[in-house]
Formats: sequence, C-alpha cells, structure tokens
Amino acid sequence: MRDRIQKEISLYEKLNILSDAAKYDVSCTSSGVERQGDGTGMGNCLKAGICHSFSADGRCISLLKILFTNECIYDCKYCINRASNDVVRTSFTPEEVCTLTMEFYRRNYIEGLFLSSGVLKSPDYTMELIYATLYRLRHVCNFQGYIHVKAIPGADQRLIRLTGYLADRMSVNMELPTAESLRLLAPHKSRKNILEPMRFVQEKMKENRQEITLYRSAPRFVPAGQSTQMIIGATPETDYQILRVTESLYKKFDLKRVFFSAFVPVNEDKALPAIREQGPPLLREHRLYQADWLLRFYHFEADELLDEDNPNFNVLLDPKCCWALKHLETFPVEINRADYHTLLRVPGIGYKSAGRIVKARRMGSIGFEDLKKMGVVLKRALYFITCGGKMMHPVRIDKDYITRNLLNTKERLPEGSDGMTFRQMTLFDDMNLSGVNVK
Amino acid sequence: MRQIYICTDTITGLYSALHDAWKECRDGDAGIEVRGKTQQQLFCEYRTVVECEQKAVRLERMIKRYLGCNAYWDIYHALLSDDGAKGTVVFRAMQESRNIKDSRKIMDHLGNPDVAKVFALSRSVSNEAHMYEEFIRFRELENGILFSEITPKAQILTCVADHFTDRFPIENWMIYDKTHQVFLVHGAREQWRLVWGEALNRKAAGMISEKELKYERLWKVFFESITIKERENPKCQQNHLPLRYREGMPEMFQ
Repeated sequence: MRDRIQKEISLYEKLNILSDAAKYDVSCTSSGVERQGDGTGMGNCLKAGICHSFSADGRCISLLKILFTNECIYDCKYCINRASNDVVRTSFTPEEVCTLTMEFYRRNYIEGLFLSSGVLKSPDYTMELIYATLYRLRHVCNFQGYIHVKAIPGADQRLIRLTGYLADRMSVNMELPTAESLRLLAPHKSRKNILEPMRFVQEKMKENRQEITLYRSAPRFVPAGQSTQMIIGATPETDYQILRVTESLYKKFDLKRVFFSAFVPVNEDKALPAIREQGPPLLREHRLYQADWLLRFYHFEADELLDEDNPNFNVLLDPKCCWALKHLETFPVEINRADYHTLLRVPGIGYKSAGRIVKARRMGSIGFEDLKKMGVVLKRALYFITCGGKMMHPVRIDKDYITRNLLNTKERLPEGSDGMTFRQMTLFDDMNLSGVNVK
Repeated sequence: MRQIYICTDTITGLYSALHDAWKECRDGDAGIEVRGKTQQQLFCEYRTVVECEQKAVRLERMIKRYLGCNAYWDIYHALLSDDGAKGTVVFRAMQESRNIKDSRKIMDHLGNPDVAKVFALSRSVSNEAHMYEEFIRFRELENGILFSEITPKAQILTCVADHFTDRFPIENWMIYDKTHQVFLVHGAREQWRLVWGEALNRKAAGMISEKELKYERLWKVFFESITIKERENPKCQQNHLPLRYREGMPEMFQ
C-alpha cells in the first residue's frame, strides 16, 4: 500500500535515503584484488585498495555504499529498515546505480560499488535485481573497478554463483556472534542460513582456483574473497567469545576480513540494550580490531590474548602490550639476533618495521637511533628490547613499573633513566594503576 | 676544495649532476644542489652542470644495473622531493653501495644515515603521491575533459600518471601541478605526457559542464548521509585527510 501513496522520489532523495540506510555496514575496503584495466572501459583495482575520502566520523569512504532497496520483509530488531519501522521506502533501478557509479568513479570520488540490499519480496527476487545491476555495470558500462556485493542469505545458489563471477568481494553478515543472540534479535535469520552461502562461496572459490591454474583466462570467482561483520555490544557476549568466533571464521571459512560494528541504537526495543547515554562502545570495537590484526598479521592466537578468566580486553592497554606484560619472562629480546616471529611480538614493532630490521641487520648492527628511523615506536618498545646487549635506558623488567610508564607515555623519558632507579612513595599517589588489571 | 654541482630541479638535471659527480669524484666528497635553493658555503667550488638527456639515460642504466630496480625506484622518488639535500644524499648512498658486499642490497642498509635519508625521502614522496591518487578530484569541463588542480610539495605527477592512465584509458584528462607549474596531459587512448612552461587558461578551466554541478551535489549528499552522527570524530578525520589535500574536494565545502 505504502508505495502507492508515496510520491515519486528524485535521485537525490533516493541516494540520501539509501546511503543513509547503508551506513551501518562497516566494510568499506577495496582491497584484495589487483587488476589492470583492459584499455576499453574504465577502472582498475589495486591490491591494497584506495580510500577516497573520510567522512566526519573518521571512517574511510572507498566505495559507493548504498542499499539497492530499503524495502524489507525481515524484522531484525537492531535494523533501521526493519519491516515494523515506519520509514520512507524506496528502491534504485539498475540504471540509476550504474550511472551513479560510473559518474562518481570518473571524478575519482570512489573506488567502486558496495551494493547491499533489504530483502524485497523474497531473497531470490532481491538477488536477481542485484545480479541484473552488476551485469549491466560490468557488460554494458564496461566497468572494471571494484565491486563488493552482499549475498542474500536464502537466495538460490545459482544466482549467488552468477553474481560471484561479476563481483570482487562478497559478504554475508554474521550480525551476531552466537546463535542464541541471533534468534533473539533477528528472528528471520538463522545461523545455518547465514553460514550456508558463506560455505558455498568458499567452496566455489576453491574450485575456481583450480580452474585458474588449468586455464589462465578462466573467469575469476570472488577474487578478493569474503568478509563478514558482527555487531558489538547489542548482546552480552564477551570479547573472548567474539574473538574465538572471528578466529574460527578465518580458519574454517577462509574469510579475508571480519569487521566489527559498535552497536548504535537506532530503534527502541525491549530486546536491545539502552546505551544511548554512553554512546556506542567504540573503544571495545577498537580493541577487537587490534586483536584482529594480531590474529591476521602477527601470528597470535585467540587463546593467547584472552581466556575464560580474562574474557575482556583491558581498557587502558592494547592487546599486544597486555600480552607482553603477561609474558615478561620472554623479554627483553635482542634486536640484532631475535627471529622475525619474536620481533613481531614486541609492542611498538609492527610487521613492516620487523621486516626492515631483519633486512638491515644483515648489513651491520642496529642501534636505537636506527630503529626510530625504521618506524619503531620506541616509547613502547624500549621496555622490551636490547640493542647490542644494552637497553635504551636503565629500566626494570617489572610489571608494575612498565605498566605505569606505558600509561604515561606523554612523559618523554622513562622514570629512572637519569640514574634514579628508586621512587618516593606518597600516600595520595595512586601510581596511575587504577583500572589496570593485568593478570 | 669540495666540488658542488648545481643543476635544475628536474630528473634530467639531477641525473646529469649525479653523472658528472660520479665521473669526477666518486672517491671523494662532492655535493649536488638545486639551482635557486643553494646556500653558499666556504671552501667549496661551485659548478653548473651541463644537462642532457644522454647523461641521464646513462646514469639511469648504471643505477639499474648495479643497484637494482628496487633501489632505482627509491632513488627516483627521493629525487622528486622538495628537500634541498636530496642530490647529495643520493650521491653518498651510491658511494656507500661500493662498501658493502652486495651493492644491490643498498636500500636494506638502513644503518647508514645517507641510505636512511634516501629511504625517508622516497617514503614521504611515494606517500604523498598515494595521497593524491586518493584525493585528486576531477571536474568535467564543457568540452568533456576531466580537469584537476593540485598543489603538492614534491613533484608527484609522474608517480600518479600510470595509475590514472590505466584507470581512465578512454578519457581525456589533465592534472595541473600548481606548485611546480607542470601539466600532466592524457588524451584518449594515448600515453600520458608532461608539459612544462605553459600557463593555465583560467577561463577555460572554470567552464564546467552542466552535469558537473548535479553530480557534485549528489556526491555531497552521499558524503553527508554516510556519516554516523553518534561516532563523529573530526580529529580522526583530519589525521587521515590532512587539510592541505582538501582544496579540490567538493565534499569539504558547503
């Protein structure tokens, strides 16, 4: 009924409504695929991806992130477009999406298209519309840029397969880390329903890799892999549970990325937590991303970072520092001798600088000054490393002492570096330790 | 007497200077400075380099052969920066490469201050070039040409040229570097080229096409609505998108 009463909506209005509705999807990467243009159309892809702007909330804008439609038959509690909400409903046509993408891309506004959608009529119907859009974009407009598309859970596998050959990345949102939460907040979605297309895409990708080794010019199926996202803070899961789920997604489903989205309350519902005053749990999201990086690039495992007794991340210290403080017996490490994997575990040394260290020390020994030039964050690293057998300043390998100094990084030199290794205690000095609970 | 070679701030000029310096005093101390940015010092002999294509090609070939293509990439980028000492540090890094066992690994030898400086310069130039790949905005002119005007610190046009050529092969586009007054011009289905010594026709560059304003408006509304109000964080935005890149970006102006 609603769409009959509603008056015709201009493209400007549509873009406003449908990008506003898509903004809670965090994934905005354009990475994972390297593709040169063929010289007859427009666009290429870079392995690292490119961000083209940054919105006022500091998140990158890389893709034209829109919903195809916000008309949805589902009633997920956390979603602004749930069927029971009274919002203006509208849909793009495939032509409109193509024109917008091409014209924005030409002006170097965007890196490609991110097409998600509410479920219009049925999953199959929606998936078909998405496929039609992508087909037009690839074959009529000759667009060779990046396309990220959502696989609609419950859609026909044939449609997902066809769409996969046109897209670079596909994603199905986990939404919530456990099956119970999902039942509670998204009654129309089920764990099985979500994991099914994920598994399907994974298997197709595996098949496709074999095809490509046999026939070099075989069409690529989802070359940039899959991603997913989880909402953080809408349900009572601990960080440990979330991280475990993340790890198993990487291991069992070959996902490229798992995104976390701090829960922003857009609906009033008794099933949702009321956190309007505190704002979204941004710090928690940040810590999870830090841990996610440790899993993907630093050879950490979820069980090393958290455990049943310590199920949540420290508010004040990042996960890597926390791990290092719990394992002080392995420090300090000698920069000129420690292997790459050990270097990766030192706070303040990233994977890039670890690589540079390994290369540079083949030419001669490295000192603290050189480390700084290579991009090592010395204010964090100095408690955990030695160069040529010496530490940078006379510091103690002591948990409380290091914790205090790490929290106090505004101070330039660690306490005691001028030769004073003791400290006057006072009654009213809380040593900055409140809130830190490193076990 | 320390010999100092003076050249223009172009790749041909710097390569010619490096060529002469390498030929005459590769075992001694020499400096390479850019005309207009020199600071006169005592006990130095200044000489202007005769610049020619041939010397540049010869030096390029030499670097590629003895130091490898990766080191060449770093040296090339370092020489595009706006740092006055760039010529001298590259020369010293080349000298240093003779002291190590495998000269092709010179850029790994970050313990050496000159190599570290070349590395730092090359990193900052390629970072800036990458920023411009992200933040350049084209406007469509009445005649269908995509035009963009930028004010970079380093001469990054050649670094972004291949990227945009691959991306927009059948478009006519042009990027104008206001700082160094150079144009990067690409005609449809052609190779790009640099144009020096032309003045920008302000009037022609200001005549934008009819559709241009419409798409700018659409882009702005997208930019507004994609923000999550509850997460607003201008400092984070500015960290990622420094103010000096914003001048050509329509979404940053109301």
